[in-house]
Amino acid sequence: MADHDPTPPAPPAPPAWQLGKSHRKVDAMERMRGITRYTDDLKLPGLLHCKILRSPHPHANILSIDTSKAEALPGVHGVITGKDLSIPYGIIPWTPDETALAVEKVCHVGDGLAAVAAVDEDTALRALAAIEVVYEPLQAYYDPEQALAAEVAINPFNKRGNLSKDVVLEFGDVEQSLADAPLVIEGEYFFEGTTHGAIEPHCAVAKLEPNGLLTVWSATQVSHYLHRELAKVLERPAHTIRVIQPPLGGAFGGKSEPFDLEFCVAKLAMLTGRPVKCLYTREEVFYAHRGRHPMKMRHRTGFTREGKITGVSARTFIDGGAYSSFGLVTTYYSGQLLCSPYVFPAYRFHSTRAYTNKPACGPKRGHGSVQPRFAIEVQLDKAAVALGLDPFELRRRNDMGSNTTTVNGFEVGSNGFLECLDRVESGSQWRERRASLGFGHGLGLAGSTYICGTNYPIYPNDMPQGAVQITLDRSGRARVFSGANDIGQGSNTMLAVIVAEELGLHLDDVRVVSADTDLCPVDLGAYSSRITLMVGNACMQAAQKLRGKVRESVAKRWEIPAARVTLIDRKAMDLEDPARSIALDKAFQWAEADHGLLGEVGSYNTPKDRHGSYRGGTIGASPAYSFTAHVAEVEVDPETGVVDVKHIWVAHDCGRALSKLIVEGQMEGSAYMGFGEAIMERHAVDPRHNGVHCGPSLLDYRMPTFLDTPDIHALIVEAPDPQGPYGAKEAGEGPLHPSIPAIANAIYDAVGVRIDALPFSPPKVLAAIQDRARLEQAGELAPFKSAGLGERRNA
Amino acid sequence: MAETLLSLHINGELAHVAAPPHWSLLEVLRYRLDLIGSKQGCDKGDCGACTVQIDGEPVLACLTLACAAQGRAIRTVEGLGWEPQFRAAGCHPLQDAFDRYDAAQCGFCTPGILMSAESLLRKRGRAVTPLEVREALAGNLCRCTGYTKIVDAVVDASERMFAEDHDIHG
Amino acid sequence: MLRLPQFGVLMPEDIAGVVEALRANPGARIIAGGTDILPNLKHWLDEPPMLVSLARVRELRTITLDSDSTTVRIGAGMTLREVSEHAEIRSRFPSLAHAAGLVASPLIRNMGTLGGNVNLDTRCRYVNQSQFWRQALGGGCLKSEGKVCWVVPGGQNCVAAMSSDCVPVLISLGATIVMVGPDGERELALDKYFKADGLAHTNRNAGELTTELRLPVGQAPRRAAYAKWTVRKSIDFPLVSVALCFELERDEVDAPVRAATVVVGVLGAKPRVVSGLESALGKPLSDPSFARMVADAVHKQCKPLENVPFEAPYRRQMLGVYTRRAIEGLVAAG
Repeated sequence: MADHDPTPPAPPAPPAWQLGKSHRKVDAMERMRGITRYTDDLKLPGLLHCKILRSPHPHANILSIDTSKAEALPGVHGVITGKDLSIPYGIIPWTPDETALAVEKVCHVGDGLAAVAAVDEDTALRALAAIEVVYEPLQAYYDPEQALAAEVAINPFNKRGNLSKDVVLEFGDVEQSLADAPLVIEGEYFFEGTTHGAIEPHCAVAKLEPNGLLTVWSATQVSHYLHRELAKVLERPAHTIRVIQPPLGGAFGGKSEPFDLEFCVAKLAMLTGRPVKCLYTREEVFYAHRGRHPMKMRHRTGFTREGKITGVSARTFIDGGAYSSFGLVTTYYSGQLLCSPYVFPAYRFHSTRAYTNKPACGPKRGHGSVQPRFAIEVQLDKAAVALGLDPFELRRRNDMGSNTTTVNGFEVGSNGFLECLDRVESGSQWRERRASLGFGHGLGLAGSTYICGTNYPIYPNDMPQGAVQITLDRSGRARVFSGANDIGQGSNTMLAVIVAEELGLHLDDVRVVSADTDLCPVDLGAYSSRITLMVGNACMQAAQKLRGKVRESVAKRWEIPAARVTLIDRKAMDLEDPARSIALDKAFQWAEADHGLLGEVGSYNTPKDRHGSYRGGTIGASPAYSFTAHVAEVEVDPETGVVDVKHIWVAHDCGRALSKLIVEGQMEGSAYMGFGEAIMERHAVDPRHNGVHCGPSLLDYRMPTFLDTPDIHALIVEAPDPQGPYGAKEAGEGPLHPSIPAIANAIYDAVGVRIDALPFSPPKVLAAIQDRARLEQAGELAPFKSAGLGERRNA
Repeated sequence: MAETLLSLHINGELAHVAAPPHWSLLEVLRYRLDLIGSKQGCDKGDCGACTVQIDGEPVLACLTLACAAQGRAIRTVEGLGWEPQFRAAGCHPLQDAFDRYDAAQCGFCTPGILMSAESLLRKRGRAVTPLEVREALAGNLCRCTGYTKIVDAVVDASERMFAEDHDIHG
Repeated sequence: MLRLPQFGVLMPEDIAGVVEALRANPGARIIAGGTDILPNLKHWLDEPPMLVSLARVRELRTITLDSDSTTVRIGAGMTLREVSEHAEIRSRFPSLAHAAGLVASPLIRNMGTLGGNVNLDTRCRYVNQSQFWRQALGGGCLKSEGKVCWVVPGGQNCVAAMSSDCVPVLISLGATIVMVGPDGERELALDKYFKADGLAHTNRNAGELTTELRLPVGQAPRRAAYAKWTVRKSIDFPLVSVALCFELERDEVDAPVRAATVVVGVLGAKPRVVSGLESALGKPLSDPSFARMVADAVHKQCKPLENVPFEAPYRRQMLGVYTRRAIEGLVAAG
């Protein structure tokens, strides 16, 4: 902690008062009592209901739209079409390739093209049915490589056919490194696509005041970017728009850019002069999507006989869906985030993102890097088998260590990966148990790394990436104003913990006001695991300034050096004479008398010297990196192909856990989400049936229930990073990455088959087992785990 | 369509409300009575976010016609913790345990989960096992937590509520 | 929110009132637990002017054993949870208690009734979707707004799947269904209740109400089981669904099997009673060749279709596996 008192000798260090403890979250009890108002819970007088007309075609020109019958219906107050919101936008400023409502063509089943505001939803739906659209259907493409070869361009704004983004980066001589390697593992991997599945559907409400202030409440995780895009598309100065993010019912990346409903309610509120709400049906959430990209990945990895990686070559085709979303970044991330935690001297990736006639893909928890992490960690497992090495040993031999530079030029600071490996190895009793697990039972290992925010914001600017304003009240309370979006991950509590730590408060004494563009300083939002590091740093800075003022005022009155004063448990206390203390409210009053109103700001910007200087070298670079290791334990039924994941041990280096249970919760939720993607979740459209979604509901999109989910063991590892507040790094996304490859590797350990395409569904696993059995019977493969076929049936 | 007058017993009190006959209980609770604790996640019985209790049993408010719930005891999350024995604490032991365990992240599924869990604890009347919790809550989806802390919190709450039965849990 | 079509609701107090309400309101639909009909109405698969709710019909909510102990009568309004937890059902018909306890989720079992589960509408991946989705598909199908079948190209007969967990078990136990209509009460063997038409897959007449399921209390020793597989361990409809019932010479698993009934669901609109099991009779239940013969017969005769959302070839393969395992489970339980 910063302490500017130059008084030697140093007094005893104050105890950590809040850091690393288990906390009740600042806003959980209200949620559990059912009184928290999420966006759909807002009530406004005269509220109109908005519904959006969606395309039943995967690809079509809009020849005409006639809304006259809809407008004439009683109870209908406003109808808009794409022409009313025709300015293109995009979360990435370089790729503004979508409009709020389709203007000239529709690009996937579910693409919006008109919206209605009416007295109730039933009337709005009747109005939608009365809108007459004439379409000219076009050939639709569902495969990225076919789309790239097609004559027809899907996206209406893209200038390069169906190529969304193409990135080739090479570091060192990869071909030579592979040619020289005694062992080269080649693999083709396929990730089919998954979605976020937050239980709260998207919802937005807008109202216009007579003075021209437009307020938009939205279930968004990026209120600042929404603010900017609303200003752009609505052609209103930003200061006439207020964006408020009410408490949010989950996001996971699925609410991290503007969506059609926000523009529609805003425009309709302006048009009708009445507040307007739009609540997506669950089906519409699937069409909004922006979920994890399908990726086809071809990896070649070279190894020495000792298992050291000599080079990595990756060729990746990315299925983007109809719009860019974050796709430019995704394309870089699919390669740029692979260069840690393992050191290798040569690396080349070529990633190509294509447009297809599907709901647009975007960022889902672990943006861009969960898919290639599956590939690389299975490659390592295949190498371990080929070399007769234990998977832990192989990874330890390739560990890059701390304070080092990756092959692509990223500066890595603290690195707790080895300890992560140790923790999951002992937690799972790997050494004791693995060799003796019978046929059908297996343990699998995988590791990973992730970013703690990105070094550069989405739109270029020199202003801070995170900022916090804090005021102290003479009653002994603190108010924190932060633009950061608490999406359920607990960022409001994280801020309260920092303020409470510095100022000796209880969490109940801290009120966090967040994600309201009128009341709070700008923050860029809840994405890329940036909030703890960036907003945490800003908050720490502001809180420490206030702490300094309070200590100074107390020290002055006690006539001791300020360094002897600590703030703890609602008291200011003399560290050398703990019996001497006064109540914190009194200390605040002294400080307010000395300094006037107690308020401070803090802001954070990233260091700009932690990445390569090549084109694209900033994308994927972060102030600090988290590390994770998983061991998954599976039971594979060799007769049905059903994979039962029994346990996941997840060890995660979060730098320092500011709030223990919240960190654990992020780790557990991550492991769960990755497990679901590995075993059962499928976000796909049906190419044989007009590109309809293969089940846009929570019945057909199968998310694991209480009974499906394995026992998850969260093991916190702390390798404090100088870039993080108190050493803290992220915990919200990194812990997901190893889920899929750890399970894949455990399946191999159980039954000796590689499933390189997701999800690991029973038919796929069973077919692989039967293929292997045929090879064993033909004498082409040794029996796996020496179990005879006869015994296997009852394994 | 003409609205009908409904008399609903909700959280121990009688509420009179007009609503169209085709409205679900969830709509009436949320949009007519402003009892917003019951959430809408899928609106067709696939997620459990709208779980309320009718005559003590957890059911889906999105698939219950409001008019068919007349004459029965409806309990929503807002009524949890109203019992005299919990008044001093200000909340139900389950809510307290969820708070201590950080078992609610975004909290959107939590009201429904609490209503399923309360029914389990009331029926068992003893400390419950993790498997019992998982079975009883298997109709409620949570996307944030991985379920771990929810299971722990329900088990903990049951142990505190039925302290003398510790040995049953083992 | 998903919108329901506008309908009126009648809440009769007794069976006679239900029959009268159905008679007076042509096109009216019955709603019991609501867990099947309401999602379907939210998908606009029907627009009935009136729903007749069974919520207040107490007569439907009993389970009784006849005084001569030959029949158990289960009121159609008993919830699936009540059926699964009922002591009499658990001891006399464990496979039924098991199946009822596996339906969907605990919440749905608290609402859904046995009568509702028996009358569960047939399901198909191309049907149980929103009206918008069906429009995108190309205008629905035989069972919704369209004229084609997406499962069997060129097919003119709807093959939507009978997806009830309880129906195969009830048939395997020799259940009968009791209906009351304008012409009074009638009783029908449950295996005669279903027909191979996904649009109207039961022999229920308009205006009739299912009031009871009757189960004969067998005198012969027997073993019965229900095998179900779904992707998730809760919420999902069955993807593999097999009910088995074996009468034994003596009350032990090493005794020869005297009669065997195996019923498979989630194929087409009609549950399939597997035939040709006579050749296996006389073998002890515990003889592995018995399990194999039954499993082979199931695999040979049952051909799942791509009507429900999971690969049909795999489901077919699994029918044999789960059948054999169910028998092995009965043998292991003794």
